[in-house]
Amino acid sequence: MKKVAIVGAGQSRYGDFPDKGIKELFFEAYKDMNASVDKGLDPKVIESAYIGNLGSGGFQLGNMSALVTEYCGLTHINTMRIENACASGGYALVAAVMDVMSGTHKAVLAGGVEKMTDVSGIKQKYWLGVSGDTEYERLAGTTFSGLYALIAQRHMYEFGTKREHLSMVAVKNHKNGAQNPKAQFQREITLEQAIKGPIVASPLNLFDCCSTTDGASAVLVCDAEMAKQFTDTPVYVTGFGTASDFLAIHDRANTTTLEGTRRAGAMAYKMSGLTPKDIQLAEVHDCFTIAELLAYEDLGFCEKGNAGPFIEEGHTQIGGDKPVNASGGLKSKGHPIGSTGTGMAYEMFNQLRGTVQKPTRQVKGAEIGLIHNVGGSGGTVAVTVMRR
Amino acid sequence: MAHVSVPMYWRTIPQRYKMIGQKCKKCGAVNFPPKGVCKYCQTSSEFEEVQLSGRGKVHTFVLISAGGAPPEFAEQEKAGGQYPVAIVQLEEGPKMIGQIADVDPKEVKIDMPVKAELRKIYTEEEVIRYGFKFVPG
Repeated sequence: MKKVAIVGAGQSRYGDFPDKGIKELFFEAYKDMNASVDKGLDPKVIESAYIGNLGSGGFQLGNMSALVTEYCGLTHINTMRIENACASGGYALVAAVMDVMSGTHKAVLAGGVEKMTDVSGIKQKYWLGVSGDTEYERLAGTTFSGLYALIAQRHMYEFGTKREHLSMVAVKNHKNGAQNPKAQFQREITLEQAIKGPIVASPLNLFDCCSTTDGASAVLVCDAEMAKQFTDTPVYVTGFGTASDFLAIHDRANTTTLEGTRRAGAMAYKMSGLTPKDIQLAEVHDCFTIAELLAYEDLGFCEKGNAGPFIEEGHTQIGGDKPVNASGGLKSKGHPIGSTGTGMAYEMFNQLRGTVQKPTRQVKGAEIGLIHNVGGSGGTVAVTVMRR
Repeated sequence: MAHVSVPMYWRTIPQRYKMIGQKCKKCGAVNFPPKGVCKYCQTSSEFEEVQLSGRGKVHTFVLISAGGAPPEFAEQEKAGGQYPVAIVQLEEGPKMIGQIADVDPKEVKIDMPVKAELRKIYTEEEVIRYGFKFVPG
């Protein structure tokens, strides 16, 4: 099988952009990706493209990958939309990696795009919160905040995780996002603010929840043998893992573990020949603060049940021994669903090459990083490990 | 859309009105709601129907406020304030999600005993949807 490298990565600003639709957002990311290729890119080398997208409010459900790629001038190539809820982008990246590994195509685009702010608040809730077991979880009166709150409550009960531990995730990620010029919310919050946010689904409050976001991202994946024609400093994909789970939380034997994360992580570590200890920084799926704590445990960064003390001790801050979500995470950078996974790859590409826009956010000297993208409440999970 | 249409609802009446579970003929475990293949042994798809008691204990819960309520439940939240939703560990083995009614939300605790009752869930397309909610006891 072919070895795989990433040689370019781009991202649009994340936020609320009334003047941009999915085509314009995706084109912004695409141009940024092209500009990032050190030795220049002739777009004609791109043979294939996988685009993560949930549905952009339902206005372009069919053939959207052909629409956004032809807008960028990539007509007639192999392209398909990848949909696995909030993990769509992570799976688009894995699809691109497998495409190159198999030798089918040599240079492949993995991207994602979502337009979420065109949709009214009421329609937003009809469109979102439908990636769990809709017939049962939704009929009990929950959306995703409620589902993650069920996990948080049980985690607090079983392991003594505190309200403050959840808020520490929000404070850390806002601090990092304040240093990210492409983040949706570029401002810090205090622990007191984060603890006293208005309740959404107790124990989760507003500052425990990510926002709705417009945005796009794109990375260029290629056969490692041709990587040096694009750049002297490629980032290599050493392994990936994907796994699924029961959609409904009530169907799972264990409420406080995302089994999809555990299995996808194990597969990615095995393929890479690495262990959790080897990971020097990570971008994990913090759609809600509890989700970041679960990721620490299920990816093996700390013992099961110990995520609260782990964040309290500062391990996951920039400057700690395992910085997590230096980009600001979904919480502060934003969560344009289909783009989130490849947006993580964009961040990791820059972190490992030392090319993060603001040096205050750069994790210095890191060589090995992991990205972790979760669909819904863990129904699907994609993990990718990279090394410079 | 998270819209559950009348035909979709109609197909699940045995679960929603009567809590009919499936006992696996191979491993004996009870599945609820139904699966094509037993979720415990993952080998058998032969089941016998069992009537669940509806009794169990709260495994975990959430109190849903306005920001967390789906639009079809917004009216309920507006009228009655935050409402509890729980995953209940049922006596027969499976866990199931549902609202807890007839309780002060502040009184809901993990391990609290509850039982299922047939209640009104919401009205959509001018059709009242009935199903189970849990109540203390």
